[in-house]
Amino acid sequence: MKKHFLRATLTAAVLASSGIVAASMTTAASAGSMGTTTVNFAYDFPGPDMELIPIVVGQDQGFYKAAGLTVKTEFPANTATTSSMLAAGSANVGFITTADMADAIASGAPLLSIANYSMSNNWTIFAKPGSKLTAANLKGKKIFSWGDNWTNTMMSFVLKHAGLTSKQITIVTASNDIPLLMNGSVDFDTSTTNYAVPGIEGADHGLKPVMFTGSQIGVPNIPIWVYAVTKAYAAAHPATAKAFLSATLAATKWAIKNPAAAVADFVKMYPNSGYTKAYSTTGWSLTIPLLTNAAGKFFVQSSSQWATLDQGLLATKQIKSAPAPTTYYTNAFVPAQ
Amino acid sequence: MTWRRVLKGVLGPIISLVAVVAIWQAIVVWGHVAPYIAPRPLAAFRAITSNWSVLWPLTSWTIKETVYGFVAGVVLGVSFGVIMAKIPFLARTIYPVLIMSQAIPIVALALPLVLILGFSLMPKVVIVAWIVFFPVTVNVLDGLNNVDKDLLTLSRVLGASKFRTFVVIEIPGAITPLFSGLKIGATYAVTGAIIAELAASTGSSLALYQHTEAGQLNAAGVYGTTILMTAIGMSWFLLTLGAEYLCTPWRRRSVARRGWRGAKNSSAVNNKQGE
Repeated sequence: MKKHFLRATLTAAVLASSGIVAASMTTAASAGSMGTTTVNFAYDFPGPDMELIPIVVGQDQGFYKAAGLTVKTEFPANTATTSSMLAAGSANVGFITTADMADAIASGAPLLSIANYSMSNNWTIFAKPGSKLTAANLKGKKIFSWGDNWTNTMMSFVLKHAGLTSKQITIVTASNDIPLLMNGSVDFDTSTTNYAVPGIEGADHGLKPVMFTGSQIGVPNIPIWVYAVTKAYAAAHPATAKAFLSATLAATKWAIKNPAAAVADFVKMYPNSGYTKAYSTTGWSLTIPLLTNAAGKFFVQSSSQWATLDQGLLATKQIKSAPAPTTYYTNAFVPAQ
Repeated sequence: MTWRRVLKGVLGPIISLVAVVAIWQAIVVWGHVAPYIAPRPLAAFRAITSNWSVLWPLTSWTIKETVYGFVAGVVLGVSFGVIMAKIPFLARTIYPVLIMSQAIPIVALALPLVLILGFSLMPKVVIVAWIVFFPVTVNVLDGLNNVDKDLLTLSRVLGASKFRTFVVIEIPGAITPLFSGLKIGATYAVTGAIIAELAASTGSSLALYQHTEAGQLNAAGVYGTTILMTAIGMSWFLLTLGAEYLCTPWRRRSVARRGWRGAKNSSAVNNKQGE
């Protein structure tokens, strides 16, 4: 779904090697060198970007240290690997989409979502700036997809809403979306607003893309990303999980209150991320509204979000049967707000 | 005798393949590796057979990309090799560019190709050809530059035209290095096809299928797809090996078959026998 699409052919090797890593990491959380507890945090993308800001701020502003934690960020080989890293034990906490989470559970991986990252769905269908196309005429159009589980799931809702079958559109998967959209090689792009808007604006001198979102295209308003652990880790290290979320919450609130400083922290920690400061600033400003629910709460999950997700996963045959929503998540570690 | 030779040739590869599968099984079983991390070999093969109706169209598409790209790469590679061998100035001019072409990361090349050529078969064929043509060019060039000088001198003394010398002496002289290049290209061709599929696909592809399976933690599907990709590469290598066997009869027999000998020589021999 996000920015780039890397080599899936590496996955087999990563799966195999992560098994070896898992064998060497029998203790999920080890004592850090300064008497702190180390938490290996696996991001959902091979490189850092602005969604990592809460973690970066937690590290840079000392929120984790104050909670007795040393958080180390690991980057997966590709967008499909984070669940494997968690399941294999090479990461303690992972940042994954809810669709990846549900698919992992369906495959028998004992994962558990401990908090929502975003509280709403900003997955959107984009047309290039100035385009006259509308979401009502998707039939026969070329639509870009990153080929990830979340996009597949959302497309099932879009097609159902439009009364179309997957054969009536052409899904295009490539290593980059925005050049294809701006070049006219695809009619529509699919991405999330916080990634695509700064990208398209940057590519087209600040012009805003045409966006179709939410009820316009029939996609449910459910969270996209979650913090996840394995059930074994949650059972063995409840205090660490709770401390991690408490410190992350404090860092998130700080990053919301001080967006410019938060972006500066990110740029300082990852000067070679490949993203401009302007991109990260716009991206983070578009991420902030996603982080709280209608009641202004962070992290809190609900059974209805997972039950709605299951509908899309069943429609795309990613899962054969829908487990009880409580199989996916717990709010037990979410700090009081 | 023939059976014994065939058995000798086949037994080694079979033993090594069985050993690889056995080691894989042993690691998974003795290491208590969870099936969503690494499947047992049988589960990976089952992931192929049970999804064959989905996988076959994707596999045949990948084969098509591989074959078309390989053929294009070979034609281009041989042409470059011959031209560069015959025109040394051109060789000195083009060679650095050819080396530079291989230093460009294919992933970086993929997007511009898609933007220019669209999502058809063409960008995939170009990427595969891009990977294949270089070892072919280098080997053909080396082969042609290292033809036995005495043979070339003899040919000139006997009054053979440049074309006849090229066909009768230089081409056979370059065949062995050519096939070395072809074998390297054959194994890389499928890699090129998979990279190309990842760079841009409409609908689905074997690479995208594998990516989706990985995202769903379906390790059996990931390994199954890997087996298919490997099988395509190996099959193409074996076909190239077969072509090499057919094209280099002098490696197996020192005397050409009767039908292959020149008509002039045969009639001369017959006349002599008649005298």
